Amino acid sequence: MEQQTSGGQQPLTGIRVLDLSGPMGVYCGKLMADMGADVIKVEPPGGDPMRIMGPFIPDGANSERSLNWLHFNTNKRSITLDIADPQGAELLSKISRQAGVVLETFPPGYLDNLGLGYSHLLQGNPGLIYASLTPFGQTGPYKDFKATDLTGFAMGGYMYVTGRPDTPPTRLWGSQAYHTTSNRAFIAILLALYHRMATGEGQYIDVSMQEAVAATTEHVNTAYNYTGEPAVRCGFRHGGQFVATWRCKDGFVSITTNTQQSWDDLRDWMARDGMAGDLSSEKFNDRFILRGELSEHIEGLIQAWALTHTRQEITEWGQSRHHPWGPAVRADEILENEQLWERGYFIESEVLHPGEKMVYPGAPYKLSRSPWQLRHPAPQVGQHNREIYCGDLGLPVDELDALASQGVI
Amino acid sequence: MSAVEKPSNSGFALQGIRVLDFTWIHAGPSATRILADQGAEVIKVESNNALAVVGGPSSATARGLGQRHNWNAGKRSISLDMKTSQGVAIAKRLAAVSDVVAENFSGRVMTSWGMDYESLRRVKPDLVMLSMSGFGRTGPWKDRVSYGQTLQAWSGFTELTGFPNTDPCGPASAYSDAVGGMAGAQAVLLALIHRARTGQGQWIDLSQFEALSSLLDTLVLDLSANGADSHNQRTGNRPPHDSGATHGAYRCRGDDRWVAISVHTENEWESLIGAMGHPPWTQDERFATASGRSHHSEELDALMETWTMQHSAEAVMRLLQDAGVPAGVVQTGADLAENDPHLQERGFFRQVLDGQGVSRTIEGAPYILSRTPGGPSRGAPEFGADQTYVLREILGMSDEELADCAIAGVFE
Repeated sequence: MEQQTSGGQQPLTGIRVLDLSGPMGVYCGKLMADMGADVIKVEPPGGDPMRIMGPFIPDGANSERSLNWLHFNTNKRSITLDIADPQGAELLSKISRQAGVVLETFPPGYLDNLGLGYSHLLQGNPGLIYASLTPFGQTGPYKDFKATDLTGFAMGGYMYVTGRPDTPPTRLWGSQAYHTTSNRAFIAILLALYHRMATGEGQYIDVSMQEAVAATTEHVNTAYNYTGEPAVRCGFRHGGQFVATWRCKDGFVSITTNTQQSWDDLRDWMARDGMAGDLSSEKFNDRFILRGELSEHIEGLIQAWALTHTRQEITEWGQSRHHPWGPAVRADEILENEQLWERGYFIESEVLHPGEKMVYPGAPYKLSRSPWQLRHPAPQVGQHNREIYCGDLGLPVDELDALASQGVI
Repeated sequence: MSAVEKPSNSGFALQGIRVLDFTWIHAGPSATRILADQGAEVIKVESNNALAVVGGPSSATARGLGQRHNWNAGKRSISLDMKTSQGVAIAKRLAAVSDVVAENFSGRVMTSWGMDYESLRRVKPDLVMLSMSGFGRTGPWKDRVSYGQTLQAWSGFTELTGFPNTDPCGPASAYSDAVGGMAGAQAVLLALIHRARTGQGQWIDLSQFEALSSLLDTLVLDLSANGADSHNQRTGNRPPHDSGATHGAYRCRGDDRWVAISVHTENEWESLIGAMGHPPWTQDERFATASGRSHHSEELDALMETWTMQHSAEAVMRLLQDAGVPAGVVQTGADLAENDPHLQERGFFRQVLDGQGVSRTIEGAPYILSRTPGGPSRGAPEFGADQTYVLREILGMSDEELADCAIAGVFE
């Protein structure tokens, strides 16, 4: 049975998770592992395809050097197993009896056909929580449609509104449709864990990437459902036009004029610089004028003015007046963030070899008593085969070797 | 599991949990909506004397109304002017009978009321308190002001989102708030699990900046390992570290209609050209290999559009899905609400009644839990709708007390 340690330092200590997931679920597995769960990544013999996805540590692109792998698999253990082989499926079924959670991203029905569906693994493990993350969920006319991060982002309604009016709809940087699915799945799993503590009951969780994205767009659904007009691409402007990203002297800066004070302050500064044009006149006092037919004229003046100041000048001037203004930071500046260092968000840790320190991103939130931890780096391929197959399952070493030579492990 | 606390057994995972909710705008209310959907009793503390903002008491625009319902469905509301001493006293009494207190004020507000975690744990030792803020409650930037877009700019998301040959556009909406909401719900649930195991409450210091920064994929490791040799820039619709082509949004027949197509493997490429009916340009040797297609992606994209433009986005999706190629319509709000048979069959959008009996459309949870499906039972509360329930039934306040408070303007 799953180990239940009360008073463990982390909230999920003692909960064992079988992580069968691909890119859509790997972040969910990481969230659980970083919060204390014993997450066992089940890799196909030879290693998970993610191990050969870049970027890489500079000295070579072998399966232990993928930063993608290292990032998303912190604190996990690794076993190798060919689950499509009947012996492999049998072994997975046995391992699952010691697990509290199964996390998977296969197409609907795939694991059922291998005898590894929820209804199979439930036998003898009624508390099992089984989370299936798929592009469109387990039911409905699109359930067998294929999707990637890009097309999930499109079908969920976020892509249409992102980008400039004169560019194609645009994805967010990074695999945000996948991560949103993982974030939502983690919530569902935590709810199920809480329910199980009360009742002993496990349950099945069906997570849809399309819905995960659709519930994350902020305004796409409410705009249409409450005004009848679909939201459109606004480019550098946030929907309401009170928030926009401007080109300035040394890059880009975000300026928000969502309050009367911030709108007045901006116009004052522009006037002092002699660049307010007619914006100082009474006609422009109401900040909602930014949404009207004069918006192009106003934006032209703001843009011309913004080019005369640096990101830092604009940021500091706005922040000193309690306006939420800030620089659009470039990727290469991220490690310079003093707030993230000061709060211990960045964590320096040795990765594979002694002395090889790397900076890891840290806790997404700080819990005062049961915090996020980086206990150990991502595992090597099958690093924990022996301790799990022989130690936990009691498989004799020669049988393990035989299964390895047959390519099952 | 320790027997310190037994959560309830029902179709809702969080029945019996009470949340005193001071959060406003987007991130906070979307976090507590997740809890309300699963049966938590979320009491929203509002005041006419606070700023009227989106999701706040007066949602002047239709869109604001939509957001109020979307992020506050299933909650209760009391009006309480926290500028009055009696208002603060009532809030403290409520905190003492709550499991969770959630807030996203600037740093000094809860302390000024004597309702910071250290004060509240004295009246409720196992309290879980969620404090959400832009940059966290410690560190040199703790008092900086931010909205979602500010955090997106500061984290790198704005600069990185968009096409390489145009200015950055950033996310169209406050992704940061949505992320903050998900993170807030996760953190509260983790703390409730910890409490059920140990009896201990705790304080959650949630920096939305850190929650958002956690989604920058491998960026931090890449900068750390490769320094100046790491090249993380805008890549439009292409994955940053993958030679994926064809990979993007392609214009289709109609007004601003698009389909997203995502081809990674050689098999998918073969299926794609088969579904297109093997147009002659697909035999061009520039496109014979994945790296060739990636290298000539602009020419390839233009040629792809000569095909997609002949069809509706829905037809392209169907044709390619039939051939096993990941493709999806770039759906608008109208598509999601009206034209998506899949979302309809799954019942993603929910109809709930507001306080006046008007049916409102809101988003459902993007997951289905087989034993605790939960779900919002009603729309957002009318401002101050639950005064009687909260003050009389929960706190047991007398007519006299209530009258005194009303005269003092505590319920404004």
